[in-house]
Amino acid sequence: MRKTLASAALLGGLLVAVGGRWERHPSSVAESVSEVDEPRGTVPSHATASTTEAISPEVLTQVVQRTCVTCHNDVALTGNLSLQGFDVAAAAASPEKSEKMIKKLRAGMMPPPSAPYRPAGDTLTSLAETLETLVDRAAAKRPAAGDRPFQRLNRAEYQASVRTLLGLEIDPGAYLPLDSKSENFDNIADAQALSPTLLEGYLNAAAEVSRLALGDVKATPTDITYSVSGYASQLERVEGAPFGTRGGLSVMHAFPADGQYVFRVTFASTTVGNAFAGKDARFEQVEISIDGERVALIGVDQWLNIASPEGILMKTDPVAVKAGPHRLTAAFVSRSEGPIEDLLRPHDWSMSDRHTALGARGLTFYPHLEHVIVAGPTNVTGVSDNPVRRRIFSCRPVTAAEELPCARAILSRIAGEAYRRTLEPRDVDGLMTFYTQGALAGGFEAGIRLGLQAVLASPHFYFRFEQQPRGVRGGESYEVPDVALASRLSFFLWAEPPDAELMALASRGRLSDAKTLEQQVRRMLADSRADALGSRFAGQWLRLQDLEKVNPHVYWYPDYDQQLAQSMKRETELFFMNLVREDRSFLELFDAEYTFANERLAKHYGIPGVAGPEFRRVAYPDASRRGILGHGSVLVQTSLASRTSPVLRGKWVMEVLLGTPPPPPPPGVPDLEETKGDVGGRPLTTRQRMEVHRAAEQCRSCHLYMDPIGLSLDNFDLTGRLRTRENGMPLDTRGQLYDGTPVSNPSELLGALLKRPIPLVRNYTVNLLAYALGRRVEWYDMPAVREIAAEAAKSDYRMTSFILGIVNSDAFRMRTAATEQGGSGR
Amino acid sequence: MEFITGKHLPRRTFLRGMGATAALPFLDAMIPAGRGRAATALAAVNRPRLIAIEMVHGAAGCNAWGATQNLWSPAKVGRDFDLSPTALESLEPFRDYLTIVSNTDVRMAEAFDSGEIGADHFRSAAVFLTQSHPKQTRGSDLYVGTSMDQLYAKRFGQDTPIPSMQLCIENVDQSGGCAYGYSCAYTDMLSWASPSEPLPMIRDPRVAFDMLFGTGTSAADRLQRRQTNQSLLDWIASEVDYLQRSLGATDRQRVDQYLTNVRELERRIQQIEARNSSGEPREIPEAPLGVPDSFTEHMKLMFDLQVLAFETDVTRVFSFKTGRDAQNRVYTESESSTPFHPASHHGGREQGVLEFQKINKFQVGQLPYLLEKLKATIDGEANLLEKSLIVWGSPMADGNLHNHRRCPLFLMGHANGQLPGGMHLAAPEGTPMANVMLTTLKMIGLDDLQSFGDSTGEFALTRATEVGA
Repeated sequence: MRKTLASAALLGGLLVAVGGRWERHPSSVAESVSEVDEPRGTVPSHATASTTEAISPEVLTQVVQRTCVTCHNDVALTGNLSLQGFDVAAAAASPEKSEKMIKKLRAGMMPPPSAPYRPAGDTLTSLAETLETLVDRAAAKRPAAGDRPFQRLNRAEYQASVRTLLGLEIDPGAYLPLDSKSENFDNIADAQALSPTLLEGYLNAAAEVSRLALGDVKATPTDITYSVSGYASQLERVEGAPFGTRGGLSVMHAFPADGQYVFRVTFASTTVGNAFAGKDARFEQVEISIDGERVALIGVDQWLNIASPEGILMKTDPVAVKAGPHRLTAAFVSRSEGPIEDLLRPHDWSMSDRHTALGARGLTFYPHLEHVIVAGPTNVTGVSDNPVRRRIFSCRPVTAAEELPCARAILSRIAGEAYRRTLEPRDVDGLMTFYTQGALAGGFEAGIRLGLQAVLASPHFYFRFEQQPRGVRGGESYEVPDVALASRLSFFLWAEPPDAELMALASRGRLSDAKTLEQQVRRMLADSRADALGSRFAGQWLRLQDLEKVNPHVYWYPDYDQQLAQSMKRETELFFMNLVREDRSFLELFDAEYTFANERLAKHYGIPGVAGPEFRRVAYPDASRRGILGHGSVLVQTSLASRTSPVLRGKWVMEVLLGTPPPPPPPGVPDLEETKGDVGGRPLTTRQRMEVHRAAEQCRSCHLYMDPIGLSLDNFDLTGRLRTRENGMPLDTRGQLYDGTPVSNPSELLGALLKRPIPLVRNYTVNLLAYALGRRVEWYDMPAVREIAAEAAKSDYRMTSFILGIVNSDAFRMRTAATEQGGSGR
Repeated sequence: MEFITGKHLPRRTFLRGMGATAALPFLDAMIPAGRGRAATALAAVNRPRLIAIEMVHGAAGCNAWGATQNLWSPAKVGRDFDLSPTALESLEPFRDYLTIVSNTDVRMAEAFDSGEIGADHFRSAAVFLTQSHPKQTRGSDLYVGTSMDQLYAKRFGQDTPIPSMQLCIENVDQSGGCAYGYSCAYTDMLSWASPSEPLPMIRDPRVAFDMLFGTGTSAADRLQRRQTNQSLLDWIASEVDYLQRSLGATDRQRVDQYLTNVRELERRIQQIEARNSSGEPREIPEAPLGVPDSFTEHMKLMFDLQVLAFETDVTRVFSFKTGRDAQNRVYTESESSTPFHPASHHGGREQGVLEFQKINKFQVGQLPYLLEKLKATIDGEANLLEKSLIVWGSPMADGNLHNHRRCPLFLMGHANGQLPGGMHLAAPEGTPMANVMLTTLKMIGLDDLQSFGDSTGEFALTRATEVGA
């Protein structure tokens, strides 16, 4: 495959060489930057190679004044940037401007495609390099670590912290307000606003979680509700459910006490009158199981009616369940294996034809679960031992005299883990007053519970404080203490608190030792907890959560369901993590000839020979799909419900992969749907409608960037399937990239992107660094970003090189103290 | 492809309960002591309830052609207006409570310099209730203005356990954050406690319920939990003092802010305690189930909560964001199958404008549910709709042009007899929406307020005669 791409790149390279632009250049100007801007792999690009001549800053200044100032002047302020009077030799004096220029120049996006005059590629490259060299040199003289306020545990980190601390699975959304994002991520400290609502959320969570963990003999009946999304199919067994079931849901549920629980189920129904169509619900049974064992069977009442006093709801008799976390499954007993024999083939999204099926003959519409409600406990008999309790009660007092020391031991251990640092006596003393208060009212266990609640309510738990060494003055940079480093490291790589090994090293002050640090990074990456880099970092960077927003129109895409969407998300996470685990080149993200798929996804992509729900590595059958630009997760999230959007796809590539988002559309732009859908009865393709759409000059300037990128991916339909026609008309995906490279399919797009890896690599570094630091990466971080990227280039962009580069950077290891007035030193 | 008939499952609207199996919990006397008895308490109880609701993307009737068709505001001003062509059609049964103010501008949402052009969707929400222009920043140096609900809550909110509450319908954690140099706070938050303090919105009805009424399964349980929280907060406050010593300046500032939050929660608990020692126990319905898929059901749950909170006087102020700018949700229950944002970019074509109108109609059509409930709830000697002031509007006018002139705005309720209703007022060209907000704020008790946002003066809401348009 590398060949295909390489030749595409080569082709692009040759074409470009003819135009005399964008040739390979060794970094002759920038001594400190050894990044080489060339196609990687075995492309014989030397054939076209030439050496960039070092051009003097004076000449470059003239180029800037002649070329850029036409638009970037004090009056037009295009892109909010004026380069009037900009002197290249003095680039270091206006680093913010210089960084803006470097970014666009490296991406090959300036001058714009519509510009009447472009300097030769060499000149532009030389300009970028000169700016980099000057800025980097100046930065080396006054290193800045940057600063941010302390981070708080967001929903995901809170959930992970409770899991590691207590072995308890909770739903943080039940207590905490939504997390605000900034620059892609939900862990950016200064966007994590504090409010009474948030504090109340943490307090409520502390109260609930401590009760769930220890169990609660005083628990009174409450209802906990779980829902199945209407977009989920319910024909197949769901993960965690016993075999021989279909649909429903399976969750870990923490039962607060030994007692009796009633399970209620409701069914999807949006009509008036009867809930189910005729005989389809006959003989249907819902099985409730705890840890895989059936505890109740509900025979579905086929005559359930919307007017029934309780609605479309059925319930079990009381069931005795012991306290602690158990796997709870509510699912239908599967009545048939294999396809249903209907007149029409059932769709993959089993809810898609509920309306047709209701009352229609020849279509089966099985009942679907909508909610499962756990109501209880009643008749509480006590709290049985369970893994969560065993983990908490590391000692058991036999006599009254043993109670205090045992409580102290338990709370010290838990608080140490929860606070992610070594405790001072006053920490434990404070918690012990809560123990005493609780023990007085309800005995030893009640005391421990209240102590645990205090631990979880403490700011030391949900805030990640980092101590500032004594004597540091404002503006001074200092190394963060080892204990803080341990947390930075583990929240970065694992998205959860540090483990015992990290804490032990940190408490002995050894973690900051360069060799130890690298060993630890490698150990952590090999650990399964590093999967968080895929789900939390890559997931947010690549915006996989946006998949939820797109629900392809059921009429055209009745096979698209939540299971498929989840498989797409999983695919991208696994794929990214595989690159990390196998320490592959970062660029493989774009040009890999393989992906990860299960049967459902493989079928969707047209990859044969994959059976079963487990994901595995599979080779793409041909070059039409490569890397993440062939992933459904990306192609669907950049589509609309009824059509693809080349604009959104182009924008996604520019924004997410290249870090150069297009400016917002000017007001008053008609939507694409508003352009005519046909000419004389002949339906238009999306492309043709786009052309009509962007006839306006004000739109064209930006669409010249976005549209060709998106069009080259338009052979993927909105669900990520390959296609050659749209609305019955053949697709025309040809276009010209912003730098002039012709692109008409994914491999040509990749060739063009990979021909210039620097913007891709630096943008990835920026995102990884922002996620690692919990702050936005600013212009003053760019010298460090370039250094990390340049170092990674030496090892063909190995994934660990980026991670180690970040861990060893000043920004990660150090902080710059703010001055007292609150002006942040950077 | 959804065929919702308008008849909803009873279990969805939690006020009617999930079933008979679980005992309904008791609210520990959220009813003020003096209801109907002590006259002193009445003044406080009669304080108007305020709900400020934002509709995003403007309205079809604010498009040039749409205005000629009276798609938003009716043709006639005064009392004799015809709602039938407008998006407000569904409010006909409540016309006596309706005050339409057409023609006001939200100029503060406009771009002030070149870097702000086109980013209307990312700053408008912050402008709606502040009528101030947001400082373009991605960082924590946010600055816009104090929102009208917060001005009111600050003055009178201390009388209730919760000064105000912020609710929303759409998820705010999607996409890569917000764009074009604007912090997400400007896009996602309506309520600003101060120009630099946005208040997070709550989307999950269940979480809102727990915040309003406390967690716990019985009055005794809730009492005990409150007391525990009280001592935890005391302890936290003492910890914070000690903690400050080991932190740098940036962190100390943040801890100070945290301490303010600790104090506020302490105040809330004391307030509830004070009420409970003098009140009567009362039944509250069961907590809702979480976020429903359906827009209508979600809206209903949120409205249920607002009525319940007013009824029990836990809070008197809500801001409510019904959508998120630039969202592409398809309202399957409306008659339109076009995604919301594309629908708003109708290109000025008649067919497109009418399509967008369907969504406007559908959204405004949610309101009667709230109005009915408020009207049916008697609070002291009048119903809650009499006592309430509901502001419904959008900081954008023509979503297609992203303009902010002649924006949608109407008021519901009689604000405790202060607002006559049953009127359509057309503001003179160039009147800031802030003028209307200033007047309403003065009307509901902030009589010493001099100005609000970009207000240029007051706007008479009680007389229709002076309007010539």
